Amino acid sequence: MDLDKLQFKASVRSGWQAIDLGFLMARDWWRPLFTMTALPATLLLLPLLLIFWENPLWAAAIVWWLKPFWERLPLYFASRRVFAEEPSEWDILRQARSVFRGDWLPWLLWRRLSFNRAFDSPVTVLEALKSKARSQRLKVLHGKHTDIALANQLVCFCCEVILALGLLTGLLFFIPDSLDLEIYDSLEKLTLAGAWIITLCYFFAMILIMPFHCMAGFALYLNRRIELEAWDIEITFRNLSQRKKQSGSSLVAGILIPVVMALAFVAQPSPALAATSHNNESAKQLIAEVLGGEDFGREEIVEKWRFINWVEQNQDKIPEWFIDLIEWWENNLELDDPAESTLTTTAFWLKVLLVGIFICLLAYLFYRFRAPLKKFSTSQSPKTAPEILFGLDLRPESLPEDVPNQVMKLWQANQPREALGLLYRASLSRLIQQHSLAFKASHTEAECAALVQSYGIQSLSYYFSQLTQVWRRLAYGHELPELGALQNLCDNWTEEMAHDPL
Amino acid sequence: MLDTSYRVEIPGGIELEAQVVGPVPRFLAFSIDFMIRSVMLLVVGIASIPFGELGAGFWFIFWFFIEWFYPVIFEVFWRGQTPGKKTLGLSVVQDDLTPVTFGTSLVRNLLRTADFLPFFYLFGLITMVSNARFQRLGDLAAGTLVISIRETAKPAEVTEVSALAPPTSLLRTEQTALVDFLHRSQHLSKPRQEELASILDEVTHSASDNRVEKLHRIGAWFLGVR
Repeated sequence: MDLDKLQFKASVRSGWQAIDLGFLMARDWWRPLFTMTALPATLLLLPLLLIFWENPLWAAAIVWWLKPFWERLPLYFASRRVFAEEPSEWDILRQARSVFRGDWLPWLLWRRLSFNRAFDSPVTVLEALKSKARSQRLKVLHGKHTDIALANQLVCFCCEVILALGLLTGLLFFIPDSLDLEIYDSLEKLTLAGAWIITLCYFFAMILIMPFHCMAGFALYLNRRIELEAWDIEITFRNLSQRKKQSGSSLVAGILIPVVMALAFVAQPSPALAATSHNNESAKQLIAEVLGGEDFGREEIVEKWRFINWVEQNQDKIPEWFIDLIEWWENNLELDDPAESTLTTTAFWLKVLLVGIFICLLAYLFYRFRAPLKKFSTSQSPKTAPEILFGLDLRPESLPEDVPNQVMKLWQANQPREALGLLYRASLSRLIQQHSLAFKASHTEAECAALVQSYGIQSLSYYFSQLTQVWRRLAYGHELPELGALQNLCDNWTEEMAHDPL
Repeated sequence: MLDTSYRVEIPGGIELEAQVVGPVPRFLAFSIDFMIRSVMLLVVGIASIPFGELGAGFWFIFWFFIEWFYPVIFEVFWRGQTPGKKTLGLSVVQDDLTPVTFGTSLVRNLLRTADFLPFFYLFGLITMVSNARFQRLGDLAAGTLVISIRETAKPAEVTEVSALAPPTSLLRTEQTALVDFLHRSQHLSKPRQEELASILDEVTHSASDNRVEKLHRIGAWFLGVR
């Protein structure tokens, strides 16, 4: 047992996580595990089917009863595989005898219906413990996780039933109706054909679920051992000691740490506390000390609620209103004429309520999505256009009546920036108002010009690009336009802006 | 390496880790939810008997909502947990470990119909065990996972041991191992503790009579005892 080769991170997991790890094991090693479960079981089932061919359910029942044995080989394989060994088929065949031997009777009789089967069977199969030694070992192991083992057993049983019925219904789905096999009848009356189908479906379900069930139990067992024997701590300590030895190898060269791990799964019958030896006397003393300690000699008082015929005592105390309610129900149930009954009125008001809710919902939806709806109905509304672009106020109210005149006045008052700014924003505003151009607040001047270009009136787009150029030079480059150019823009403004919208 | 943990690296290089949850706890969680739903349907069913056909109609509508929206409502508004999942300490998250949204939860639960085929979630079970994250079809379609959010128990406080500074520098995992060694000492047999401690004889320069105690004292040092 080489802990360094452990195929999963050794740490103390919760029981549920241990089960999930077991499912991962079954998934990752599915092929060998499934073969080892299915092969022996099939080898027994076939001759049994021949013997009981008139009543195959008996064969299935026998194979089912022998379940603890089908789980032994996969368990053995997993115990090797979990330490990265890859046992060959020959190894497994050689081991098969010793794995299958041992503790037949108890497993077939009183332990057959044990709820901890998957959790306990490693003790029998891998540690080869029997009778008293086994029960003592189990007492230690069962300190935790028995509830999880029970859950595992129940869920796997349910899954088995689900899988069997699923195979059955799946089969029925694929049989065409035109084929008159009377399969429902044969299943219902359990004729020979029906019994055969059920037997085979159940057998497949059983061998498919078994590896998962068995590995989940094995993982629980491993988790318990990791906790009880601190495998995780041992691995870390070993690595630490190795690390220090390497770094300080000149000092401690030649000194070996004499740790012998005598823990082995199959060969060693006393697995847990192996390496240090005790003679009988000191061991007994130690055991007596431990048993005398608080953990074992403790007394607990448990208080529980017990059920003392509550109904009988409270028979007279059934509340009045409850009786009234029941009577009212009874009276209303007996009314045969629905037109007269309170039910119709109730139904009417319920209908009104439901329609009301529906209308409210519709109104809410219209209100909620009013913006997209509006956009949908009118292609572009002026109200959604931005009122401010690049810090320029575009509202028509903010503009003077006669824009070109005002521009020239500002220019002559030696305010060229204000003059051209007014011209530019008046143009934008006019384009938005009259032509419904979809300027957005995020647009730049060049993008606005491109948008005007895409609008399709050639002279307008030429004019606007001229204007944009002049405005940008002034706004960002502080470069005054020539008076002629400005005059030109002003003269053409009214005409260009008066284009009919497309 | 077999591993049930699921890791996501978030921007900033921080790795989040969660434990995915397999079929057994999920089956149990589902059973609990199923029972709760059945009881609700039963109660509403009994209450609707006096209303005759109207009651039956109402009951069917109620059934529809319970069937399709019970898990969705709980998962979206109750941190990814239905009552059953809460009992088992499970939670549904998206595969980047963020909380489920209405959309993903709806997809995940609508696809129950596919998982349900051909008989009582058989396809769901099969897909769950055929991928390492235990996702059923609905989970795969919606990109969700079921993870465990059980809180780990806090170990008992240590006060009786006097601390001892470690003789050499130790990695974080090694420090945790020493602390674990102290915490779990009540559950480990004395000989096993001796055996474990003897592995570190060279590191701690200790003799056979006090090696366990010495390791306990170093463990207490890492717990902040001075």
